[in-house]
Amino acid sequence: MFDIPKEREVPFAGVTPAPVGEQPMMITGNWRTYRPVIDHEKCNLCMNCVIFCPDACWQLNEAEEEVVWNSKYCKGCLICVNECTTAALTKTYELDFEDGVVRLEKLF
Amino acid sequence: MAKEVTLSGCAAAAQAVKMAKVDVICSYPIRPYTAAMMELAKMVANGELDAEFIHGEGEHAQLSVCYGASAAGARTFTGSSGVGVTYAFETYSPISGARLPVQMMIADRTLDPPGDFGSEHTDAMSCRDQGWLMGWAETPQEAFDNHLINYRVGEDPRVMLPQFVCQDGYFVSHLPGKVTLPDQSQVDEFLPPYKPPHALDTKKPVSHGPQIRPDQGVIMDLQRAQAFLDVPKVIRGAIDDFNRIFGRRYSPFVEEYQTDDADVVFFIQGAHALTARHAIKHLRGKGLKIGLVKLRFVRPFPTEEVAEALSKFKAVGVVETSTSYGGAMRGGNLLHEVRAALYDAPKRPLTTSFMAGMGGEVIPLQEFYWMAEVLAKAVKDGRVGKYVYWVGFEQAA
Amino acid sequence: MAVAVKTQTLSPIKKIRSVPTEEYYVPGHRTCAGCGPALQYKLVAKAAGPNTIFIGPTGCMYVANSSYLCTPYAVPWIHAQITNGGAVASGIEAAYQVLIRKGKWEGELPNVIVMAGDGGSVDIGLQAMSAMMYRGHDALFICYDNEAYANTGIQTSPTTPYGGNTTFTPPGPAIPEGKRLFPKDPPQLVIGGHPAVKYVATASVAYPVDLINKVRKALNVPGPTFLHIHAPCPKGWKFDESKTVEVAKLAIQTGMWVLYEWENGEFKYQHKPKEYKPVREYLKVQNRFAHLTEAHIAKMQAFVDAKLKAPGIPVEIPVPPPRATA
Repeated sequence: MFDIPKEREVPFAGVTPAPVGEQPMMITGNWRTYRPVIDHEKCNLCMNCVIFCPDACWQLNEAEEEVVWNSKYCKGCLICVNECTTAALTKTYELDFEDGVVRLEKLF
Repeated sequence: MAKEVTLSGCAAAAQAVKMAKVDVICSYPIRPYTAAMMELAKMVANGELDAEFIHGEGEHAQLSVCYGASAAGARTFTGSSGVGVTYAFETYSPISGARLPVQMMIADRTLDPPGDFGSEHTDAMSCRDQGWLMGWAETPQEAFDNHLINYRVGEDPRVMLPQFVCQDGYFVSHLPGKVTLPDQSQVDEFLPPYKPPHALDTKKPVSHGPQIRPDQGVIMDLQRAQAFLDVPKVIRGAIDDFNRIFGRRYSPFVEEYQTDDADVVFFIQGAHALTARHAIKHLRGKGLKIGLVKLRFVRPFPTEEVAEALSKFKAVGVVETSTSYGGAMRGGNLLHEVRAALYDAPKRPLTTSFMAGMGGEVIPLQEFYWMAEVLAKAVKDGRVGKYVYWVGFEQAA
Repeated sequence: MAVAVKTQTLSPIKKIRSVPTEEYYVPGHRTCAGCGPALQYKLVAKAAGPNTIFIGPTGCMYVANSSYLCTPYAVPWIHAQITNGGAVASGIEAAYQVLIRKGKWEGELPNVIVMAGDGGSVDIGLQAMSAMMYRGHDALFICYDNEAYANTGIQTSPTTPYGGNTTFTPPGPAIPEGKRLFPKDPPQLVIGGHPAVKYVATASVAYPVDLINKVRKALNVPGPTFLHIHAPCPKGWKFDESKTVEVAKLAIQTGMWVLYEWENGEFKYQHKPKEYKPVREYLKVQNRFAHLTEAHIAKMQAFVDAKLKAPGIPVEIPVPPPRATA
């Protein structure tokens, strides 16, 4: 038997479990230079941000009747800002936020 | 009841695949293996075999269809010959890396150019490093048996590897021989149903074959390397069961013939072993102490068994039916393996190789006599003259 | 021999609000910001739902998604070589047919979807795709078209438009227009020679409801089906990553992309503009066309005008291009 360190183990034949809801092994929130910021007053729930986000980072909270942003994965492409029909979304520089651009604990 | 019939190697392979209750078959025509597919097509058309028979659009597709079907949980069968085998080359490593026990029959054929229908092991041997089991049959009976043995070994949870089940084109694939067809109940006892560990199942979703980093790639390689280290004991177990259930007397890796007092031997795999046996009978009549060692699996290569078997002799002539142009031994594929296996042996015989049957030619008895002469002279001289002899094209021995 | 057919009916939706909220292509993938192919993947996965198996031939949607042993696919997914998406799908579908028939698998025949790029569909993958369709496997083949080999660094593919600047068709004094050849027409390739195919459609990330409904229809129709989905690539086409949907919409407004369905021999248009904008409007927002001269643009406009007469009508290339090596 070969001695494979625990942290370097790879599942049999590379078959990996399917993710549920999100893939936390590939966090992409630290890619952003800009961040979409929502003004809920202006939002008419047209859902363009929800439907057009390639990373599924806008979701509708049915109970609260508002769209919710996912900072963990948002890459900052700003398609949502571009497609927003009521100018409820604006782009803001990531470093303007106190929690802006954190370095991840590991590379991937 | 088991019954004795007369079948070609291709027909025997088809019978074995049918009795293995294969689920998905993918065909593409190329001589000579194609006769096996024709048999299977008939069985499906006649309702004797319930399987999906897919007409692949080429060998690459044949293997790709089997890759998908095997991942979905089906027992699969495909096959090819010659340039068909090399056309599918891209698919071999992904299949073994995914640990899918696809079975592929190879009825050997030379590689072009130009087109040649003859049998040469070069097609299959060029795929020997792709992580597949590989071995040759000498007769239609052995071909039949090897298909069942390979399904059993390849699908074993400790192995999970694809298999090249080889037979020489024409010499085995198209020459009729006696085959004992077992009862279905014997086959069922020997070969349990295929149980994939991670089938593509919408109830238990998994991802097959995601990209990996180099540091993960090496671990995947290690997994296959480990599997190949584990295969020999699985093969031994399968052969024991096979001999018990079917009443045969196979040795798992190397088979010896007339070796008890032999000074020199032919080392060989596949169809030409049959002619070699006859040559040996005649040569022994003339007083030459010669025997034969036949290889049953070239992957995994049975290093210890080969070393143990061959170190008993004074000289070994490796009868090659394939070549590696520019190789360390000037061409002999099997000689590379044999010499490597013998390197650590306390007692090493003289070794050389014979290019024989190349282009698909028959190896006549006279050529075996000539090879025996070369070996006898080597023993007398205490050295071999060359790494490789192209039989029929060399100056006097 | 019994043939298993799906009993599911995926129903059409009317508006964005009724798009299912469940994600089967989840956040956490390494595709570029603003990736058009990732957006269409998300929409296709939503439309198809949980009873689905994806086949992912090598391409952006393999390399950038299934990174380092983690993938965003919440349904079963399997890698295929860039060459053989159609063949692997054929094997999976065939396996389910026989396993269901033999009682070895209980459940509904899954939606089998090949998610191939333009290269994996109509270049190196063409043979396998065509054979899957010829044999009549119950599978949906999607060509997500970002008009280049993007993950290898934006090399030209058979669907890269005339005049496209790619790393294999750089414009220079000897070849001022960059790409000289006119593109292949994937849906027409499928429609033209595969009698087993009963449903083919084009779609775009700019019209997600239309896209979702076409995926569902394609999955409801028994046998092989084909979707050609326009998926702009900010990196390859050289436009700002926030403009992916805008660029996709402009393609339709200028006639560079046409939305239609072909069902049992009948063509139907969707979102057809009353009046087409000049193609210049589309070209000018992408730097891959920045080098084109008026003459090149006129050639492109003539090509588009001819194509717009009707889908399925062979288009004569306005000026036969010289051989690429000339």
